Amino acid sequence: MTERGTLAARTAPAVGNLPGSLSASRSAARRTGPGRSARARALRDWWPYYAMMAPGLIFFAVFHYLPIWEARLAFQDVRIIPPNIWVGLKHFEVLLGSAVFWQVFANTLIISAMKIAFVFPVPILVALLLNEVRSGPLRKSIQSAIYLPHFLSWVVIAGIFIAALSPSDGVANEVRGFMGLEPRSYMTDHGSIRWVLVFSEIWRSAGWDRLLYLAAILAIDPQLYDAAEMDGATRWQKMRFVTLPGIAPTIATLFILNAGMFLSADLNQVINLSNDAVRSQIDIIDTYVYRIGLQTGEFSLATSAGLFKGILGMILIVAAHTLSKRLTGKGVW
Amino acid sequence: MILAGDIPDLIYFQGGDAKIAEQGVLEDLRPWIENSEFLKDALYPHNVDRLANYPYLLYVFPVRNPQPVMRADWFERTGLPAPQTVEDYVTLLSTVAQGDYDGDGQANTLGLTSAETTAELDAIFNQAFGVTATWMPTPEGVINARVSPQERDKLAFCGSLREQGLLDPEYITTKWDVKEDKFYSGRVGMILGSSAEVVDIYGGKMQQVHPGTELVLFDPPQGPAGRGLAAVDVSNESRGFAISALSEHKEEAFAVLDFMASPEGQMMDRMGFAGTQYVIRDGKIEVTDAIATWYARFMVTANWTPPVQWLSPAAQQHLANVSTYYVADNAFVWPPEFAADLDATTNVYREWVYKFVSGEASMDQWDEYVAAWNAAGGDRLTAHAREVLDASN
Repeated sequence: MTERGTLAARTAPAVGNLPGSLSASRSAARRTGPGRSARARALRDWWPYYAMMAPGLIFFAVFHYLPIWEARLAFQDVRIIPPNIWVGLKHFEVLLGSAVFWQVFANTLIISAMKIAFVFPVPILVALLLNEVRSGPLRKSIQSAIYLPHFLSWVVIAGIFIAALSPSDGVANEVRGFMGLEPRSYMTDHGSIRWVLVFSEIWRSAGWDRLLYLAAILAIDPQLYDAAEMDGATRWQKMRFVTLPGIAPTIATLFILNAGMFLSADLNQVINLSNDAVRSQIDIIDTYVYRIGLQTGEFSLATSAGLFKGILGMILIVAAHTLSKRLTGKGVW
Repeated sequence: MILAGDIPDLIYFQGGDAKIAEQGVLEDLRPWIENSEFLKDALYPHNVDRLANYPYLLYVFPVRNPQPVMRADWFERTGLPAPQTVEDYVTLLSTVAQGDYDGDGQANTLGLTSAETTAELDAIFNQAFGVTATWMPTPEGVINARVSPQERDKLAFCGSLREQGLLDPEYITTKWDVKEDKFYSGRVGMILGSSAEVVDIYGGKMQQVHPGTELVLFDPPQGPAGRGLAAVDVSNESRGFAISALSEHKEEAFAVLDFMASPEGQMMDRMGFAGTQYVIRDGKIEVTDAIATWYARFMVTANWTPPVQWLSPAAQQHLANVSTYYVADNAFVWPPEFAADLDATTNVYREWVYKFVSGEASMDQWDEYVAAWNAAGGDRLTAHAREVLDASN
């Protein structure tokens, strides 16, 4: 018997006992044959679940699938009075023909790579470390403290970082002063500003993002830890050989999803933390398109940039998925 | 709404109108205004100039041109007369910076700050240093003011202010709210307000922090090349009312605009409602405290004077100055294909402005900056500007 068949045999009696269950519906469908009546009955039996699913489906349809069709604007000149004019690759030529665009593209790649390298592992590390904290109140206090920044807007976070990094009275430079170092204007320094983006992202998201890993850790069978303990494993070894492999599928999935968002280096964050002194270092595709596309009403240009990002994001997802399948045997589909 | 094809009769734009206007969807307002009962007399000179260049938007408001304000009590303590020249400004700012007027025991007050860019400083120092327009005449043809010798002199002056501790070195990370906070808390002696209403907002907030404290507004300084407020861009209105060219109710839509410009409309628009924003006692109008929160103000016409003056003397001076020092700029509307060049050159300019003002770059590197500006698209902009401005001259 196949694995699927075994699972079905194990679950069938239990499911079959549920009133209005799926198996009952399927039996009814078999009796009446496939068709409208079977679907109608399934809908009648399961309507609360469909109703709960509907908002999510509508959200994705309106905000994620409908825009795919509207991406045709990238190949058209938008007319208030229809029809739009088909212009082929004109907007892509404008976008890719600008010398600034490639600088902006490079900034996007660098900042995104820095975030993947330095931001992505932090929630994993935090989850692993917090899992080792034995004191319940201490763990809860730390958890509360580190996920609160997630609820702050980037406007507020930018205000906090600008104040904290001020060369005249910021706490960071106070610390440098205690260490006998000269003040440094982190917010206007070309060498520092990208790190400000990385650290502010960690500060804001590490506490919240580690919830997914924490959930994955909690799903690990406790018997594995018991067995490891009986084998004389230390806490470090349990973390290394039980916890980390246990959450590897979650890490792989989130890494692949992050790869898809690789070119979205966070418009809100960059706009709020940017200033004229460092714009050449942190101007990303999103901020560039916001300025020359959306603010000037050049919607086709903005759409072409969005499509460009989307296609590259799709390529990155497929590449990361394929790589993950080869290395770990797991992917997102 | 507009992009979906549902075009209202009367539209208020705050950007995004150019793409719509170029498709012929917005009505040319000039003939309507010419035949109007009230609007034709309600416009400011800059409205007339802007309508001549871009006849689709109408924004009847005084020019927004920042002007400097200071606490009146601090100014009195300096014992100095109102500054008339660039040197007077330096003396005043130095006296404030060294005076410890905030009483914290340290001479740590900065003279002047600006929000994020030096644009506010340009308003009072452009004319003083000879930056008289966006496109400056030279024997070879016009050049952009941002790469002109006059701009270099102005930035050198701003750099010297920063070096003397008179200009906030952190202006670039100072957002508008932080700018105000620095002013009210005494960390900065002088800031610039963009309009009469903004000056009174500063005054109101200052009163909350330091009761009884009034603000004083100063005229722009006489400099080596002249005096005045920055030239006003009259290429188009950046915001305002438009009427759909496809509307079946154009007359009704325009009647609304004309009514707003009428004495009755202005009374309602600027004074609010009898019994709430003002009361009538013995035949005289008295404003209530609620007038401070009244902000309909769709139009502030040039030819209507409110029956009661509630603006502070500083705010009234602001209004008088924008009229006295009004000079039209020669900036023009750019075709969309220059959007990337405009963006790139602006970024280069602002980055180098900070380098010069902060001391990160020496003024000896001016030619390096000009080369970077030209390489970022400045060459193309200059060539196009010469075509446009030569054709119009």
